[in-house]
Amino acid sequence: MSSSSISAEQVHPATRSINHNPPNFIHRIYSVWLRHVRVYTRNLFSNALPPFLEPLIFLVGIGFGLGAYVTEMNGLPFIQYLASGLLVTAAMFTAAFECSFGTFIRLEFDKVYQGMLGSPLSANDLIIGEMLWAATKGFTFTLSVSIIIAIFGVLPFERLVLVPFVGFATGLMFACLSLLITSFVKTINHFNFYFSGFISPMFFFSGVFFPIENLPAAARPITEIIPLTHAVRLARALTFAQWETVHLWDIVYVVLFTAIFGTVALFRLRTRLID
Amino acid sequence: MPIGRFSVTSFLRYISTIMSKPIVEVSHLYKSFGTFRAVEDVSFAVRPSTCAAFLGPNGAGKTTTMKTLYGRAVPDVHDETRMRVFDFDPRSDELSVKAKSGVVPQEDNLDVELNVEQNLRNYATFYGLPHEFIERQIDYLLDFMELGAKRRARTRELSGGMQRRLIIARALLNDPELLILDEPTTGLDPQVRQVIWEKLRNLKHRGVTILLTTHYMDEAFQLADNVVIMDRAKTVLEGPPRQLLAENIEQHVLELMNARAAPAAERGAGDHAYWRKDQLGERIIYYANDPQVLRNMTSGIHAHDYLLRPVNLEDLFIKATGRSLNELQ
Repeated sequence: MSSSSISAEQVHPATRSINHNPPNFIHRIYSVWLRHVRVYTRNLFSNALPPFLEPLIFLVGIGFGLGAYVTEMNGLPFIQYLASGLLVTAAMFTAAFECSFGTFIRLEFDKVYQGMLGSPLSANDLIIGEMLWAATKGFTFTLSVSIIIAIFGVLPFERLVLVPFVGFATGLMFACLSLLITSFVKTINHFNFYFSGFISPMFFFSGVFFPIENLPAAARPITEIIPLTHAVRLARALTFAQWETVHLWDIVYVVLFTAIFGTVALFRLRTRLID
Repeated sequence: MPIGRFSVTSFLRYISTIMSKPIVEVSHLYKSFGTFRAVEDVSFAVRPSTCAAFLGPNGAGKTTTMKTLYGRAVPDVHDETRMRVFDFDPRSDELSVKAKSGVVPQEDNLDVELNVEQNLRNYATFYGLPHEFIERQIDYLLDFMELGAKRRARTRELSGGMQRRLIIARALLNDPELLILDEPTTGLDPQVRQVIWEKLRNLKHRGVTILLTTHYMDEAFQLADNVVIMDRAKTVLEGPPRQLLAENIEQHVLELMNARAAPAAERGAGDHAYWRKDQLGERIIYYANDPQVLRNMTSGIHAHDYLLRPVNLEDLFIKATGRSLNELQ
């Protein structure tokens, strides 16, 4: 034993001269983000196939199936109307899953964050890195949906080039919201309420499948409160280059929602990481 | 002449240890969770290249004390509290502390989705160290922790001992000056514990300052230059292990496996001998400074029914913290 430890001493890279200062904020956030990228791309096939498959199923099942009966929606061909809505729902789902089940498992089961907090990272770095990672997933998922839509000839790709940025904003919004939910959750099963009670209904009542104007007047204010409505409107405006004053409200909504929910989530989750 | 060089180095280390100011200095530390006092007025200092061990039952406040040193726990606001690690106050500058330290937390928290090498490479990114240094350090640490053969193994497939060694390797990536270990060998088999102790001793000889918590007395005795015994949020005893034993407890122990032998033993001791008695169920323990007293006690007892031995930290620990279990154990 002692002979092996002496030889270990000899091969030890002579250091102590290395920089022992903590990295700057940008590097810290980047390194958290990079951790998520590395883990995600370990299982790229199983992780990245569903975002292509899901919108494909909806396009074929609803677009082409129902589209045979409903040809037009709000002056647009139904298949195009649907496709432009599906662009951001994929971003919503991926960010919501990542920052609920994903975050909870890292926090409570694998204790990944507790491990990372031994390195020069703060709890804030972890949470902000997490939000940006979910937003990045929102971007790539929206991008993959636009590729599917373009391949099927539903919409030309050049119209969709900028939509992934709406996917990024959507991902960020749902990351902040989901992290806030996670900060309250004690057992993983509680997320079922969040998904069945909030995310899934939102999917159907945010103007993805039909215009929210068709809903009863009493339901209209609710559609203006929920976040997906605004993401869908922005994605559609960008796709068809049709901007109205309502879209200004959408942008303000997205910014305020992210800022408020992001700040509260940051504050609450930090107390869960730090005693 | 390796032997000559080693003695010179150890002498220099001894001198510098005496002369230099502590790397960690904490005084009047308080921490409560709601109404529960986890740490109450704890003070300690750790000199460079030494090992300090925090001993105590579960819930004594050892882990919380460690966590305050690197920002995992925020101490209560208290006028008297002073904290310094290197030249930083961990309450306001935890990142500077962590950049120069390595932390081995109590829970196994490797990235189970990454293999051994990827775990290290990924963690190294958090320090922002140069690429070549990281690669060299990974090769070196896998060798040092005897994990070279497991380089590409999935973390899930590692044994408990290997996971622990990998977590220690991870804490050494930045070549830290201070290593904080929270129960580094809990739940490991004796061989693995020996290996880990050997590695930690090796690190200490290279100048790394080590702070660890444990409830294994032998671990503290093997590694620590200084022991802090904590119980119910407070420091009960503090000092070098041998000195603690010399000053706070009788030096010899007689253990009786069967309580029925007690009257015979006490008669054997004679009238004027000093001894102290402690009972745990069927087991009776006599403490005395004069080993002859204890030897006299054994005269009427069958050799299978007793054990004569020098006192150890466990005896002191039990004397200092009391026998009954606390509500957190």
